[in-house]
Amino acid sequence: MTKKPIKFVLNGREVQAFVSPDDSVVDLLRELDHFGARESCGQGLCGCCTVLIDGVSVTGCLELALLLDGKRINTVEGLDADGQLSAVQQAFIDTGAFQCGFCTPGFILMIEQLLDENPDPTDDEARDYLSGNLCRCAAYPEILSAVRNAAMKRKTAQGADA
Amino acid sequence: MSFELISPNTLRDALDLLDVDDPSIRPFSGGTALRLMMKSGVFSPSKLVVLRGIPDLSGIEISDDGSLTIGALSTLAEVETSALVARQVPVLAGALKHLSNRRVRNVARIGGAIAHGDPHMDLPPLLSALNAEVIVESRNGRRHIAVEDLVIGYYETLLEPDELIVALRIPAQDDWHSAYRKVTARSADDWPALGVATSISHEGKEIRDIRLVVGAATERPTRLDISEGVLRSEGVAGLPRAVEAAMESVEVMDDSHGSATWKKALLGVELRRSVEEILGRNA
Repeated sequence: MTKKPIKFVLNGREVQAFVSPDDSVVDLLRELDHFGARESCGQGLCGCCTVLIDGVSVTGCLELALLLDGKRINTVEGLDADGQLSAVQQAFIDTGAFQCGFCTPGFILMIEQLLDENPDPTDDEARDYLSGNLCRCAAYPEILSAVRNAAMKRKTAQGADA
Repeated sequence: MSFELISPNTLRDALDLLDVDDPSIRPFSGGTALRLMMKSGVFSPSKLVVLRGIPDLSGIEISDDGSLTIGALSTLAEVETSALVARQVPVLAGALKHLSNRRVRNVARIGGAIAHGDPHMDLPPLLSALNAEVIVESRNGRRHIAVEDLVIGYYETLLEPDELIVALRIPAQDDWHSAYRKVTARSADDWPALGVATSISHEGKEIRDIRLVVGAATERPTRLDISEGVLRSEGVAGLPRAVEAAMESVEVMDDSHGSATWKKALLGVELRRSVEEILGRNA
Protein backbone atom coordinates (compact mmCIF):
# COMPACT_ATOMS: atom_id res chain seq x y z
CA MET A 1 0.00 0.00 0.00
CA THR A 2 1.37 3.39 -0.98
CA LYS A 3 2.15 5.60 1.92
CA LYS A 4 1.95 9.33 1.45
CA PRO A 5 3.79 12.06 3.33
CA ILE A 6 1.77 14.51 5.40
CA LYS A 7 2.69 17.47 7.60
CA PHE A 8 0.68 18.65 10.55
CA VAL A 9 1.01 20.30 13.95
CA LEU A 10 0.67 17.90 16.88
CA ASN A 11 0.21 19.63 20.23
CA GLY A 12 2.03 22.68 18.90
CA ARG A 13 4.93 20.77 17.33
CA GLU A 14 5.33 20.36 13.57
CA VAL A 15 5.34 16.69 12.57
CA GLN A 16 5.91 14.82 9.32
CA ALA A 17 4.65 11.29 8.81
CA PHE A 18 4.02 8.71 6.11
CA VAL A 19 0.52 7.30 6.21
CA SER A 20 -1.55 4.73 4.36
CA PRO A 21 -4.95 5.71 2.96
CA ASP A 22 -6.81 3.55 5.48
CA ASP A 23 -4.84 4.66 8.55
CA SER A 24 -7.07 6.36 11.08
CA VAL A 25 -5.91 9.30 13.17
CA VAL A 26 -5.64 6.92 16.16
CA ASP A 27 -3.44 4.51 14.13
CA LEU A 28 -1.11 7.39 13.29
CA LEU A 29 -0.99 8.75 16.84
CA ARG A 30 0.03 5.34 18.17
CA GLU A 31 2.89 5.23 15.68
CA LEU A 32 3.94 8.60 17.07
CA ASP A 33 3.87 7.19 20.63
CA HIS A 34 0.73 9.09 21.58
CA PHE A 35 -1.52 6.63 23.41
CA GLY A 36 -4.08 8.98 24.99
CA ALA A 37 -6.62 8.55 22.19
CA ARG A 38 -7.74 4.92 22.20
CA GLU A 39 -9.97 3.03 19.83
CA SER A 40 -12.71 1.27 21.75
CA CYS A 41 -16.12 0.97 20.05
CA GLY A 42 -14.69 1.86 16.63
CA GLN A 43 -17.97 3.50 15.62
CA GLY A 44 -17.99 7.02 17.03
CA LEU A 45 -20.22 6.15 19.98
CA CYS A 46 -17.84 5.91 22.95
CA GLY A 47 -15.55 8.93 22.64
CA CYS A 48 -12.38 7.17 23.88
CA CYS A 49 -10.59 8.27 20.69
CA THR A 50 -11.54 11.97 20.93
CA VAL A 51 -8.99 14.40 19.50
CA LEU A 52 -9.28 18.06 18.53
CA ILE A 53 -8.62 18.91 14.90
CA ASP A 54 -8.32 22.63 14.16
CA GLY A 55 -9.94 23.17 17.56
CA VAL A 56 -12.97 20.95 16.99
CA SER A 57 -13.63 17.59 18.67
CA VAL A 58 -13.48 14.68 16.25
CA THR A 59 -13.77 10.89 16.45
CA GLY A 60 -10.14 9.84 15.94
CA CYS A 61 -10.87 6.22 14.98
CA LEU A 62 -13.12 7.28 12.07
CA GLU A 63 -11.14 10.24 10.77
CA LEU A 64 -8.62 9.34 8.05
CA ALA A 65 -5.03 10.23 8.95
CA LEU A 66 -4.30 11.52 5.43
CA LEU A 67 -6.84 14.27 6.01
CA LEU A 68 -4.66 15.67 8.83
CA ASP A 69 -2.33 17.18 6.23
CA GLY A 70 -1.96 20.89 7.02
CA LYS A 71 -4.09 20.70 10.16
CA ARG A 72 -3.55 21.33 13.84
CA ILE A 73 -4.28 18.37 16.10
CA ASN A 74 -4.45 18.43 19.89
CA THR A 75 -4.51 15.40 22.13
CA VAL A 76 -4.66 14.92 25.89
CA GLU A 77 -0.84 14.71 25.93
CA GLY A 78 -0.65 18.43 25.11
CA LEU A 79 -2.81 19.67 27.98
CA ASP A 80 0.00 19.83 30.57
CA ALA A 81 2.59 21.13 28.11
CA ASP A 82 3.53 23.95 30.48
CA GLY A 83 4.22 21.42 33.23
CA GLN A 84 0.89 22.04 34.91
CA LEU A 85 -2.27 19.96 34.62
CA SER A 86 -5.21 21.76 33.02
CA ALA A 87 -8.13 22.74 35.25
CA VAL A 88 -10.15 19.83 33.86
CA GLN A 89 -7.34 17.31 34.45
CA GLN A 90 -6.89 18.55 38.03
CA ALA A 91 -10.66 18.43 38.59
CA PHE A 92 -10.71 14.75 37.55
CA ILE A 93 -8.12 13.98 40.24
CA ASP A 94 -9.80 16.15 42.87
CA THR A 95 -13.22 14.56 42.37
CA GLY A 96 -12.01 11.00 41.65
CA ALA A 97 -13.77 11.04 38.29
CA PHE A 98 -12.30 7.80 36.99
CA GLN A 99 -11.64 4.22 37.95
CA CYS A 100 -9.86 2.35 35.16
CA GLY A 101 -9.10 5.58 33.28
CA PHE A 102 -9.58 4.21 29.78
CA CYS A 103 -12.25 6.76 28.82
CA THR A 104 -10.67 9.66 30.74
CA PRO A 105 -8.66 11.36 27.94
CA GLY A 106 -11.78 11.50 25.75
CA PHE A 107 -13.92 12.91 28.55
CA ILE A 108 -11.28 15.48 29.43
CA LEU A 109 -10.97 16.76 25.86
CA MET A 110 -14.76 16.95 25.46
CA ILE A 111 -15.08 18.84 28.76
CA GLU A 112 -12.34 21.27 27.69
CA GLN A 113 -14.50 21.98 24.60
CA LEU A 114 -17.70 22.18 26.60
CA LEU A 115 -16.23 24.76 28.99
CA ASP A 116 -14.72 26.78 26.12
CA GLU A 117 -18.20 27.04 24.59
CA ASN A 118 -20.20 27.25 27.80
CA PRO A 119 -18.12 28.24 30.86
CA ASP A 120 -20.91 27.50 33.34
CA PRO A 121 -22.94 24.55 32.06
CA THR A 122 -25.86 23.06 33.98
CA ASP A 123 -25.68 19.33 34.73
CA ASP A 124 -28.23 18.72 31.97
CA GLU A 125 -26.19 20.68 29.44
CA ALA A 126 -23.08 18.73 30.46
CA ARG A 127 -24.91 15.39 30.20
CA ASP A 128 -26.16 16.36 26.78
CA TYR A 129 -22.72 17.46 25.58
CA LEU A 130 -21.05 14.32 26.91
CA SER A 131 -23.70 11.88 25.65
CA GLY A 132 -21.20 10.50 23.14
CA ASN A 133 -18.66 9.52 25.81
CA LEU A 134 -19.09 6.22 27.59
CA CYS A 135 -17.54 5.22 30.93
CA ARG A 136 -17.92 1.51 31.56
CA CYS A 137 -16.93 2.00 35.23
CA ALA A 138 -19.99 4.30 35.38
CA ALA A 139 -18.17 7.16 37.08
CA TYR A 140 -20.76 9.51 35.63
CA PRO A 141 -21.74 11.26 38.90
CA GLU A 142 -18.07 11.99 39.63
CA ILE A 143 -17.52 13.13 36.04
CA LEU A 144 -20.35 15.63 36.44
CA SER A 145 -18.73 16.87 39.67
CA ALA A 146 -15.48 17.20 37.74
CA VAL A 147 -17.26 19.43 35.21
CA ARG A 148 -18.58 21.68 38.00
CA ASN A 149 -15.21 21.65 39.75
CA ALA A 150 -13.31 22.49 36.55
CA ALA A 151 -15.74 25.30 35.71
CA MET A 152 -15.05 26.78 39.15
CA LYS A 153 -11.27 26.34 38.78
CA ARG A 154 -11.33 28.08 35.40
CA LYS A 155 -13.36 30.99 36.80
CA THR A 156 -10.99 31.40 39.75
CA ALA A 157 -7.98 31.31 37.44
CA GLN A 158 -9.58 33.96 35.23
CA GLY A 159 -10.29 36.09 38.30
CA ALA A 160 -6.65 35.78 39.35
CA ASP A 161 -5.47 36.82 35.86
CA ALA A 162 -7.73 39.87 35.76
CA MET B 1 -7.86 -2.54 1.80
CA SER B 2 -6.22 -0.20 -0.63
CA PHE B 3 -7.81 2.85 -2.07
CA GLU B 4 -6.86 6.25 -3.33
CA LEU B 5 -7.83 9.44 -1.59
CA ILE B 6 -8.25 12.48 -3.84
CA SER B 7 -9.10 15.98 -2.63
CA PRO B 8 -10.33 18.16 -5.50
CA ASN B 9 -10.56 21.92 -4.93
CA THR B 10 -13.55 22.65 -7.15
CA LEU B 11 -16.96 21.13 -7.66
CA ARG B 12 -16.17 20.70 -11.36
CA ASP B 13 -13.04 18.65 -10.56
CA ALA B 14 -14.97 16.55 -8.06
CA LEU B 15 -17.70 15.79 -10.60
CA ASP B 16 -15.06 14.90 -13.20
CA LEU B 17 -13.60 12.31 -10.82
CA LEU B 18 -16.92 10.50 -10.35
CA ASP B 19 -17.97 7.80 -12.79
CA VAL B 20 -21.55 6.80 -13.47
CA ASP B 21 -20.44 3.22 -14.20
CA ASP B 22 -18.16 2.78 -11.19
CA PRO B 23 -19.80 2.85 -7.77
CA SER B 24 -16.46 1.95 -6.13
CA ILE B 25 -15.49 5.60 -6.66
CA ARG B 26 -17.33 7.34 -3.85
CA PRO B 27 -17.74 10.93 -2.76
CA PHE B 28 -16.57 11.39 0.84
CA SER B 29 -17.56 14.31 3.02
CA GLY B 30 -17.74 13.69 6.78
CA GLY B 31 -17.22 9.97 6.36
CA THR B 32 -18.79 9.12 9.72
CA ALA B 33 -21.16 6.62 8.09
CA LEU B 34 -19.06 5.49 5.14
CA ARG B 35 -16.08 4.73 7.39
CA LEU B 36 -18.23 2.31 9.40
CA MET B 37 -19.03 0.44 6.18
CA MET B 38 -15.34 0.44 5.24
CA LYS B 39 -14.22 -0.77 8.67
CA SER B 40 -16.74 -3.59 8.70
CA GLY B 41 -15.77 -4.63 5.16
CA VAL B 42 -19.24 -3.92 3.71
CA PHE B 43 -17.75 -1.36 1.34
CA SER B 44 -14.30 -1.29 -0.28
CA PRO B 45 -13.77 1.84 -2.33
CA SER B 46 -11.26 2.12 -5.14
CA LYS B 47 -11.20 5.91 -4.81
CA LEU B 48 -12.61 8.33 -2.28
CA VAL B 49 -13.26 11.80 -3.65
CA VAL B 50 -12.92 14.04 -0.59
CA LEU B 51 -15.30 16.97 -0.91
CA ARG B 52 -14.21 18.93 2.17
CA GLY B 53 -11.88 21.29 0.29
CA ILE B 54 -14.55 22.53 -2.10
CA PRO B 55 -15.56 26.10 -1.30
CA ASP B 56 -19.11 27.40 -1.84
CA LEU B 57 -20.79 24.16 -0.78
CA SER B 58 -21.36 25.20 2.81
CA GLY B 59 -23.24 28.01 4.45
CA ILE B 60 -26.91 28.57 5.22
CA GLU B 61 -28.92 31.25 3.44
CA ILE B 62 -32.48 32.50 3.49
CA SER B 63 -34.25 33.63 0.31
CA ASP B 64 -36.87 36.37 -0.04
CA ASP B 65 -39.60 33.72 -0.07
CA GLY B 66 -38.45 32.47 3.34
CA SER B 67 -36.93 29.24 2.08
CA LEU B 68 -33.60 28.08 3.48
CA THR B 69 -30.76 26.83 1.31
CA ILE B 70 -28.22 24.77 3.22
CA GLY B 71 -24.94 23.97 1.46
CA ALA B 72 -24.35 20.21 1.30
CA LEU B 73 -20.99 20.46 3.09
CA SER B 74 -22.46 22.21 6.14
CA THR B 75 -21.75 20.06 9.17
CA LEU B 76 -24.69 18.83 11.22
CA ALA B 77 -23.34 20.95 14.10
CA GLU B 78 -23.44 24.07 11.89
CA VAL B 79 -27.07 23.37 11.01
CA GLU B 80 -27.91 22.57 14.65
CA THR B 81 -26.48 25.86 15.94
CA SER B 82 -27.59 28.12 13.06
CA ALA B 83 -29.78 31.03 14.20
CA LEU B 84 -31.58 30.93 10.82
CA VAL B 85 -32.44 27.26 11.24
CA ALA B 86 -33.60 27.85 14.83
CA ARG B 87 -35.93 30.60 13.60
CA GLN B 88 -37.24 29.04 10.38
CA VAL B 89 -37.32 25.31 11.19
CA PRO B 90 -36.86 24.84 14.96
CA VAL B 91 -37.92 21.20 14.63
CA LEU B 92 -34.72 20.51 12.64
CA ALA B 93 -32.43 22.12 15.22
CA GLY B 94 -34.23 20.12 17.93
CA ALA B 95 -33.90 16.80 16.07
CA LEU B 96 -30.18 17.36 15.46
CA LYS B 97 -29.51 17.69 19.21
CA HIS B 98 -30.34 14.01 19.56
CA LEU B 99 -28.82 12.81 16.31
CA SER B 100 -25.68 10.93 17.36
CA ASN B 101 -23.22 12.93 19.47
CA ARG B 102 -21.42 16.25 19.25
CA ARG B 103 -18.22 14.81 17.74
CA VAL B 104 -20.07 13.06 14.94
CA ARG B 105 -22.16 16.19 14.29
CA ASN B 106 -18.92 18.21 14.10
CA VAL B 107 -17.80 16.08 11.16
CA ALA B 108 -20.87 14.62 9.42
CA ARG B 109 -22.16 16.77 6.52
CA ILE B 110 -25.82 17.32 5.77
CA GLY B 111 -25.48 16.29 2.11
CA GLY B 112 -23.81 13.01 3.01
CA ALA B 113 -26.37 12.29 5.70
CA ILE B 114 -29.17 12.62 3.14
CA ALA B 115 -27.36 10.71 0.38
CA HIS B 116 -26.45 7.74 2.58
CA GLY B 117 -29.84 6.03 2.29
CA ASP B 118 -29.63 4.11 5.56
CA PRO B 119 -33.22 3.57 6.68
CA HIS B 120 -32.22 4.22 10.32
CA MET B 121 -31.78 7.95 10.07
CA ASP B 122 -33.59 10.91 11.55
CA LEU B 123 -33.20 13.45 8.76
CA PRO B 124 -34.86 11.76 5.74
CA PRO B 125 -38.31 11.38 7.34
CA LEU B 126 -38.12 14.81 8.98
CA LEU B 127 -36.98 16.58 5.80
CA SER B 128 -39.71 14.74 3.85
CA ALA B 129 -42.36 16.03 6.26
CA LEU B 130 -40.90 19.53 5.83
CA ASN B 131 -41.33 19.14 2.06
CA ALA B 132 -37.60 19.74 1.49
CA GLU B 133 -35.73 19.01 -1.71
CA VAL B 134 -32.10 18.44 -2.63
CA ILE B 135 -30.29 20.10 -5.48
CA VAL B 136 -28.17 17.53 -7.27
CA GLU B 137 -25.39 18.15 -9.76
CA SER B 138 -23.43 16.04 -12.23
CA ARG B 139 -21.34 16.90 -15.29
CA ASN B 140 -24.60 16.78 -17.25
CA GLY B 141 -26.33 19.46 -15.22
CA ARG B 142 -28.54 20.03 -12.25
CA ARG B 143 -31.78 18.54 -11.03
CA HIS B 144 -34.03 18.93 -8.01
CA ILE B 145 -35.29 15.87 -6.14
CA ALA B 146 -37.82 15.94 -3.30
CA VAL B 147 -36.25 14.31 -0.23
CA GLU B 148 -39.43 12.25 -0.03
CA ASP B 149 -38.60 10.65 -3.40
CA LEU B 150 -34.85 10.37 -2.91
CA VAL B 151 -34.63 7.12 -0.95
CA ILE B 152 -36.17 4.33 -2.99
CA GLY B 153 -35.13 1.30 -0.94
CA TYR B 154 -32.76 -0.13 1.61
CA TYR B 155 -29.57 1.96 1.16
CA GLU B 156 -30.87 2.78 -2.30
CA THR B 157 -31.37 6.32 -3.60
CA LEU B 158 -32.21 8.00 -6.90
CA LEU B 159 -28.67 9.45 -6.98
CA GLU B 160 -26.44 8.19 -9.78
CA PRO B 161 -22.81 7.36 -8.87
CA ASP B 162 -21.68 10.50 -10.73
CA GLU B 163 -24.10 12.85 -8.96
CA LEU B 164 -23.55 14.97 -5.86
CA ILE B 165 -26.02 16.68 -3.60
CA VAL B 166 -24.87 20.31 -3.64
CA ALA B 167 -27.57 21.84 -1.45
CA LEU B 168 -30.68 21.18 0.59
CA ARG B 169 -33.66 23.51 0.19
CA ILE B 170 -36.32 23.75 2.89
CA PRO B 171 -39.35 25.79 1.84
CA ALA B 172 -40.84 28.47 4.11
CA GLN B 173 -43.04 26.66 6.58
CA ASP B 174 -45.63 29.50 6.84
CA ASP B 175 -48.57 28.07 8.78
CA TRP B 176 -47.11 24.54 8.90
CA HIS B 177 -46.00 23.28 12.31
CA SER B 178 -43.89 20.19 12.80
CA ALA B 179 -42.78 17.62 15.29
CA TYR B 180 -40.25 14.82 15.12
CA ARG B 181 -40.68 12.00 17.61
CA LYS B 182 -37.77 9.61 17.91
CA VAL B 183 -37.76 6.33 19.78
CA THR B 184 -34.47 4.69 20.64
CA ALA B 185 -33.76 1.32 22.21
CA ARG B 186 -30.60 2.42 24.02
CA SER B 187 -29.40 6.00 24.63
CA ALA B 188 -31.45 9.05 23.57
CA ASP B 189 -28.94 9.89 20.82
CA ASP B 190 -28.82 6.37 19.36
CA TRP B 191 -29.88 5.52 15.83
CA PRO B 192 -33.68 5.62 15.86
CA ALA B 193 -35.71 2.43 16.30
CA LEU B 194 -38.60 4.52 15.04
CA GLY B 195 -38.97 8.10 13.84
CA VAL B 196 -42.28 9.80 13.21
CA ALA B 197 -42.17 13.18 11.47
CA THR B 198 -45.36 15.20 11.31
CA SER B 199 -46.14 18.55 9.70
CA ILE B 200 -49.57 20.09 10.01
CA SER B 201 -51.04 23.18 8.45
CA HIS B 202 -53.80 24.15 10.83
CA GLU B 203 -55.85 26.90 12.41
CA GLY B 204 -56.51 26.11 16.05
CA LYS B 205 -57.60 22.48 16.11
CA GLU B 206 -58.75 22.55 12.50
CA ILE B 207 -56.40 20.57 10.26
CA ARG B 208 -56.06 22.06 6.77
CA ASP B 209 -53.33 19.79 5.48
CA ILE B 210 -50.93 17.24 6.92
CA ARG B 211 -47.77 15.35 6.05
CA LEU B 212 -46.90 12.21 8.02
CA VAL B 213 -43.68 10.28 7.46
CA VAL B 214 -42.37 7.25 9.31
CA GLY B 215 -38.70 6.28 9.29
CA ALA B 216 -36.40 3.64 10.81
CA ALA B 217 -39.15 1.03 11.19
CA THR B 218 -39.60 0.64 7.44
CA GLU B 219 -37.36 -0.20 4.50
CA ARG B 220 -37.37 3.46 3.48
CA PRO B 221 -38.99 6.62 4.88
CA THR B 222 -42.68 6.15 4.13
CA ARG B 223 -45.56 8.61 3.79
CA LEU B 224 -48.64 7.58 5.75
CA ASP B 225 -51.06 8.45 2.92
CA ILE B 226 -54.14 6.75 4.32
CA SER B 227 -53.76 8.33 7.75
CA GLU B 228 -53.20 11.73 6.15
CA GLY B 229 -56.41 11.31 4.15
CA VAL B 230 -58.40 10.42 7.26
CA LEU B 231 -57.11 13.46 9.17
CA ARG B 232 -57.69 15.78 6.21
CA SER B 233 -61.31 14.72 5.87
CA GLU B 234 -62.27 14.02 9.49
CA GLY B 235 -59.96 16.40 11.36
CA VAL B 236 -58.62 15.57 14.78
CA ALA B 237 -61.72 13.50 15.54
CA GLY B 238 -60.34 10.99 13.05
CA LEU B 239 -57.10 10.51 14.99
CA PRO B 240 -57.95 7.04 16.36
CA ARG B 241 -58.85 5.89 12.83
CA ALA B 242 -55.69 7.48 11.39
CA VAL B 243 -53.56 5.69 14.00
CA GLU B 244 -55.23 2.39 13.21
CA ALA B 245 -54.74 2.92 9.48
CA ALA B 246 -51.03 3.65 9.95
CA MET B 247 -50.51 0.47 11.98
CA GLU B 248 -52.39 -1.60 9.42
CA SER B 249 -50.96 -0.14 6.22
CA VAL B 250 -47.25 0.18 6.93
CA GLU B 251 -44.87 -2.73 6.47
CA VAL B 252 -42.77 -2.57 9.65
CA MET B 253 -39.52 -4.53 9.85
CA ASP B 254 -37.65 -6.25 12.68
CA ASP B 255 -34.09 -5.16 13.28
CA SER B 256 -31.49 -5.02 16.05
CA HIS B 257 -33.33 -2.02 17.54
CA GLY B 258 -36.54 -3.93 18.14
CA SER B 259 -39.23 -6.26 16.84
CA ALA B 260 -41.78 -5.29 14.22
CA THR B 261 -44.60 -5.84 16.73
CA TRP B 262 -43.03 -3.43 19.20
CA LYS B 263 -42.30 -0.83 16.54
CA LYS B 264 -45.81 -1.07 15.14
CA ALA B 265 -47.31 -0.46 18.59
CA LEU B 266 -44.98 2.51 19.05
CA LEU B 267 -45.88 3.89 15.63
CA GLY B 268 -49.49 4.17 16.78
CA VAL B 269 -48.52 5.81 20.07
CA GLU B 270 -46.04 8.27 18.57
CA LEU B 271 -48.30 9.23 15.68
CA ARG B 272 -51.09 10.11 18.12
CA ARG B 273 -48.67 12.01 20.36
CA SER B 274 -47.13 13.95 17.49
CA VAL B 275 -50.51 15.20 16.22
CA GLU B 276 -51.60 16.07 19.77
CA GLU B 277 -48.26 17.76 20.45
CA ILE B 278 -48.52 20.06 17.43
CA LEU B 279 -52.19 20.96 17.85
CA GLY B 280 -51.73 21.43 21.60
CA ARG B 281 -48.55 23.47 21.23
CA ASN B 282 -50.05 25.96 18.79
CA ALA B 283 -53.58 26.07 20.21
